[in-house]
Amino acid sequence: MLEETIRVILSVLPFLLDGLWQTFKISLIAIVIGSILGAVLGIARSFRIPGLTGLIGLYLHLFRGSPFLVQLYVFYFVLPELGIPLLQFDSFTAALVALSLYTASYVTEIVNGAILAVPRGQEEAARALGMTKLQAMRYIVLPQALKLTVPPMSGVYVVIIKGTSILSVIGITELTRQGEVAILRTPGSILLIYAVVAALYFLYCYPVLRFTDWAEKRIGGVKVKLEN
Amino acid sequence: MDFIASFYNFRVVADYLPVFAQGLWATIWISAVCLVLSLGFGVLLAGMRMSSNGLLWRPAAAYTQFIRATPLLIQIYLVYYGLPLLFGGVAFLDETMSGVVALTLHTTPYMAEIIRAGIESVNRGQHEAATALGMTRFQKMLLVILPQAFANVIPALLGQTAVLIKDTSLLSIIAVFELMSAGVMLMSERIMPNESFLTVAVCYLLIYAVMLVVSNVAQNRLGGAYRMR
Repeated sequence: MLEETIRVILSVLPFLLDGLWQTFKISLIAIVIGSILGAVLGIARSFRIPGLTGLIGLYLHLFRGSPFLVQLYVFYFVLPELGIPLLQFDSFTAALVALSLYTASYVTEIVNGAILAVPRGQEEAARALGMTKLQAMRYIVLPQALKLTVPPMSGVYVVIIKGTSILSVIGITELTRQGEVAILRTPGSILLIYAVVAALYFLYCYPVLRFTDWAEKRIGGVKVKLEN
Repeated sequence: MDFIASFYNFRVVADYLPVFAQGLWATIWISAVCLVLSLGFGVLLAGMRMSSNGLLWRPAAAYTQFIRATPLLIQIYLVYYGLPLLFGGVAFLDETMSGVVALTLHTTPYMAEIIRAGIESVNRGQHEAATALGMTRFQKMLLVILPQAFANVIPALLGQTAVLIKDTSLLSIIAVFELMSAGVMLMSERIMPNESFLTVAVCYLLIYAVMLVVSNVAQNRLGGAYRMR
């Protein structure tokens, strides 16, 4: 029994590790693109430009108000229907675009929240010294806000890693998908393979989670609602 | 007009209206059942985590970390394929019940963390006053501490409930019939992605809007320490 278990684990592990590597890559790409986009939108939102603030708010509501699975289906099935060549996504592009925009919706709120958490007097003092609005943001507000974003950002990182598992439904060969393929090969050990998959996710997420908890105690940080 | 009809055909959606209504209802009642169960178990788990007895708080902490560090989809698979094994290979729970079990197992630790924050936010004087009135530990918790704890964290609990409602969409993957499955069904029968998935998206956004209104009312009435957004 034990020998059999070890044999199955050893035979599927190379594929699962390859899946973990894909999960790692996809989550990293999404978090980088999502963070850049989210930072831009979060800063833009804090300037309270009429019209733009409303648009960003609409984007946040749309992406926070619907499940990621629905968003993924919309990007994969609906957008290519529009007939615009740029939106003719293949599954990998659709997955990356959907996950990046989903990430950015969190980052936008975090960055915006961190900027709001910096005392107003800081900006006012900078303006009184003759700085422009942009200079005050660049040299005074952002450096102080940056530290506050660390705990919630690493929390979002965990959410995104876990979110990549949903990409398996449109056939991206990440960890969950590799697990499903491994089950097709050794149908007798469904539970065992999913347990190994869970262990691999745990291996990747747990250090980030511990860092989040540690950073929260150290820095405090902005209260932003996080999704599991 | 032709463009609209080819982009989003209302007649087809009207044909499938009963299917969507059934899915929406399933999403609502599954969420409600999971919410009640996870709140109940959440109080227990919070109590275990706050205990000074290592036999209580260590398993509770390990369970919490496992749930937080693995994807919900994998947890659903583990429950769906694992539960029958526990009962000797007999699948005595259907997909929907497995889904409810998985979602409850998933949501409980998040609720417990919020409830724990709520219990810790209750002023020490309340504990002392209740003790001075001669209440037992159980009375103190049930009558004095927990009501205030819940009132303090209602916005956070509502936020987690919104997450729970969105998470039910993943149950469509193990063939539970809910809102998402209704869209997938239209898709597989008619191959009309716009009508299928945009309708589902709008339904979820409607639920989200209702949750936002409820959350605003709760915040204005209670003025709790935590906020949904």
